[in-house]
Amino acid sequence: MDEVLDEVVPTEDLKKYEKVYHEQLSSGKITQKAQFEYAWCLVRSKYSGDIRKGLILLEELFHTDKEESKRDYLYYLAIGNARIKEYNKALQYVRGFLQIEPGNHQVHDLEVIIKRRMDKEGLVGVAITGGIVLGIAGIAGLAFALAKK
Amino acid sequence: MSGADFKVVLLGSEDVGKTSLMKRYIQDKFQCRPHQNTIGAAFASKTVSTRGRQFVLGIWDTAGSERYYAMSQLYYRDAKAAIVCFDLTERVTFDRAKQWITELRNHEENCKIYLCGTKKDVVDDGIKASAVAHERVLQYSKGIGAVYMETSSKTGLNVAELFQLIADDCVLPSSNERNESIKLHSSKKSSSCCLAS
Repeated sequence: MDEVLDEVVPTEDLKKYEKVYHEQLSSGKITQKAQFEYAWCLVRSKYSGDIRKGLILLEELFHTDKEESKRDYLYYLAIGNARIKEYNKALQYVRGFLQIEPGNHQVHDLEVIIKRRMDKEGLVGVAITGGIVLGIAGIAGLAFALAKK
Repeated sequence: MSGADFKVVLLGSEDVGKTSLMKRYIQDKFQCRPHQNTIGAAFASKTVSTRGRQFVLGIWDTAGSERYYAMSQLYYRDAKAAIVCFDLTERVTFDRAKQWITELRNHEENCKIYLCGTKKDVVDDGIKASAVAHERVLQYSKGIGAVYMETSSKTGLNVAELFQLIADDCVLPSSNERNESIKLHSSKKSSSCCLAS
């Protein structure tokens, strides 16, 4: 189960998506697709610098992209933070996600993995509701979008 | 990949039931609704016994939505087997499955392909008709040298059989032994599994 946190993006894939992103960046028009694919590679990098960069791109997407895409960003924000051992922050994203989609198995599994790692590493989780992370408005908007589906 | 002896990947269109197939196999559970689109790819593993030995199957359940299309390439890389799923009642998902298979053939020639027609219970219960003629799917799977199975994650039909067959095939090194395993499998009780190899 831990594979979702441990898998590492092959360098050639990271480079491939990085190239697309940078080409778009220099042309002045970045598509959400290119940004997401690049961010998705970055948060699965073995270097924490890459992961942090990926998190910034994901946060930006979360605030700008359409509502139905936001669950994907929340999930990878949780993954990225967990990978750099920002477990409390990762759990905030998990809880934010579960507020909107309480029965999501993938996210429940992720929560279990994160908590297990915190236990193993002697860390204690701080209970903070997910709403704080992204702002209540963002969560409410997402809930609305998902309810419409 | 840590812990798993074999990597198996699930591919196919959105909503054909890849996650349900995995859930039925891993947990022996089925939940029809609410449907939740898989994000990226989910992972699960299970220990299987074949030929008196135990192996761990690591299963990557990929997202079927188009936004993850390019990314799923990363999940079938180095996979021993791919289960390419389509919904028996949705023609377009069979066409998509064929595209997946072509892509797999081009990029991962050593990956064994298992074509899987899902939601057999929907057809059997007369809720919806089969959208692709059975013979046609069989003919297609024969042509590409793939195994074809029809499954129902709701009833459990052929689900464990499919994964067991994959385990048996992955462990067997020679083609002679593989044929033997196929004979053993096809003699099993009332499964509507079809083999072409």
